[in-house]
Amino acid sequence: MSDRLLVSTRKGLFALARQHGDWRIERTAFLGDNVTLAHVDTRDGTWYAALNLGHFGVKLRRSSDQGQSWDEVAVPAYSAEDVVATGDGKPPAPATLRLLWSLQSGGDAEPGRLWAGTIPGGLFRSDDRGDSWQLVKSLWDRPERMNWFGGGYDFPGIHSICVDPRDSRVLRVGISCGGVWQSTDSGASWTVTTKGMFAAYMPPERREDPAIQDPHCMVQCRDAPDRLWVQHHNGVFRSDDGRLSWNDIANVPPSVFGFAVAVHPRDPQTAWFVPAVKDERRYPVDGKLVVARTRDGGATFDTLHTGLPQEDAYDLVYRHGFAIDQDGARLAFGSTTGNLWLSDDQGDRWQATPMHLPPIYSVTFG
Amino acid sequence: MPKIVLASGLARWLRDAASAQSGETAIETTGASLGDALENAFAQHPSLRGYVIDDQGTVRHHVAVFVDGVAIADKTRLQISVRQSTEIYIMQALSGG
Repeated sequence: MSDRLLVSTRKGLFALARQHGDWRIERTAFLGDNVTLAHVDTRDGTWYAALNLGHFGVKLRRSSDQGQSWDEVAVPAYSAEDVVATGDGKPPAPATLRLLWSLQSGGDAEPGRLWAGTIPGGLFRSDDRGDSWQLVKSLWDRPERMNWFGGGYDFPGIHSICVDPRDSRVLRVGISCGGVWQSTDSGASWTVTTKGMFAAYMPPERREDPAIQDPHCMVQCRDAPDRLWVQHHNGVFRSDDGRLSWNDIANVPPSVFGFAVAVHPRDPQTAWFVPAVKDERRYPVDGKLVVARTRDGGATFDTLHTGLPQEDAYDLVYRHGFAIDQDGARLAFGSTTGNLWLSDDQGDRWQATPMHLPPIYSVTFG
Repeated sequence: MPKIVLASGLARWLRDAASAQSGETAIETTGASLGDALENAFAQHPSLRGYVIDDQGTVRHHVAVFVDGVAIADKTRLQISVRQSTEIYIMQALSGG
């Protein structure tokens, strides 16, 4: 069970540690600055923190001593010929890095390899722990990209990267709004398959168009990697065949709308969601914050609320705001109002942490 | 020689956090144009480039550059003549960010 949690917030990175049964802030970094994402590379213990400085752009910091010191490393960069064209009528524009939206480690036999998903839609690869980055042109150059568009942002972005534990050449990425793509050759070629997903926000003839689906977040079961779960703009979807097809899970209480999803690393049938009022509203249904959990692959759900506020709660949990540790024993989630809860019993009971944090973008166990 | 002054909000990213002082930072530079003067400053402080210039070589959308008190009008066109006495002031624009 992990006793450390990295919390990325609008005003810095907070490393929390569990001491004598209580969670306390062990260390802070970048206080006052906008930390959008943290990643812990379990292969070598390196921590990464993505910052969005607004005026001065997106930055990436790396720590080899668990946050005691940080170095600035390179960020993915677009070239002069890279253009963002979207399917929602915006004029084509030169591509510039807007957000480092996802970071994922390569396989155990690929030391130093990192994958980064960005807004405006480029996937990048590093083979030197972030010292340099290369745009994955095979995906960027797909003609379908011209039909992608932003969901909540001006431009599309890659927020979910799943590296197959059985074969690290097999990659799956989730794109808002651009569907789910898979490569079986380390990113040399790609296919999109979203069979079963639908987009109610589109004109009827485009609702099943793969390249405009809006998966908000995608996770893969570590010990059963053909099982993937997606919290999509229009609901929850489950794949049993490595994302070739998707099943609509329509009975998530109290709402199928949300951003976050977590899957148990050993049990593909167990997954968690944090529902919210769809989709123009985005706050907990009736002001009651709950977590929806299934233990049978989505056939039934428990609505978990013990320890969570059941009145006047307007916490929204973003797509990277929910985490499960490596052995599946501990859960954590943080909200846009800076509240943070943990559970050691699969979500039956939640413990609020005592601190008052800035808006939380992402949590990850260290 | 031309001088580049970084506003405190930008200058703090050049300093080691442990020895951070607040306030502006001045960089003595060379060059006959704004672009050349910036390139010289970036050569002295390589990490500065990414804070001022975006992927496409353009001054960042929310960064303002003043040449002798006049804001540059076109962030893509940096071939503006500068004199030995020119002061280039770089700050975070108040428009956002």
